[in-house]
Amino acid sequence: MESTSNPSPSFDPDLIHAIYKHVWRKKAAELEKNNGASDVGAGPSRKNVIPSGANANALKLSCELLRQFVVEAVQRAASIAEAEGATTIAPTHLERILPQLLLDF
Amino acid sequence: MASDDAEREEDETAEDLFMRDRFRLSTISIAESQAKQLDLEISRPIVACISDLAFKYTEIVAKDLALFAQHGGRKSVTMEDVILAVHRNEHLTTSMRSFSNGLKSKEPQSERKRRKTANRDLPYIPDISEILEDPDI
Repeated sequence: MESTSNPSPSFDPDLIHAIYKHVWRKKAAELEKNNGASDVGAGPSRKNVIPSGANANALKLSCELLRQFVVEAVQRAASIAEAEGATTIAPTHLERILPQLLLDF
Repeated sequence: MASDDAEREEDETAEDLFMRDRFRLSTISIAESQAKQLDLEISRPIVACISDLAFKYTEIVAKDLALFAQHGGRKSVTMEDVILAVHRNEHLTTSMRSFSNGLKSKEPQSERKRRKTANRDLPYIPDISEILEDPDI
């Protein structure tokens, strides 16, 4: 809402980075737990499963990818809404485009 | 020990919620600006729904990127990993690649408009006749 003046709003690379790191940390914790449970000796080499970070351009590219996802969802739903002569994009419109959208991403 | 774990878990969910909210705010501004361009209204529940989908998609992409980087023997994720993550969709791959070339060649601020014109209206639904005619396949 706060960035309506921005001509082309997108995601914040820092936010995406935070989400990535969060997911990686969660995954690493899960792996550790599993390793602890089974207690296999091959532990230490699995440490590098978590990337230490992502480079700045990769994050910007991820933001663009997610922006495309949202834009596609809106545009496809809009085309259905227009075909039905509606002025508001309603849940049924999203429902119609959802399967193909999820297949495409 | 047990309380430590519980505390950490609580922190995690709080962080998780915080990120979800920020993510949703970004989605709202993107979706609404898009809807405005199309001269349509978009109701909030749908934007929230799209936001949740996008968030789940982000988590899937994060896992993919981690695996790709690990497979490449790198400690950090690169643009190639991101492009690899969308390799199933050719249109998307092309558009991501041109965006990454723009990022590579120029300073980050200048190609905003270019990519906007290049990607708008790009249909991702593959047309079967187009695929059949494509000499690359």
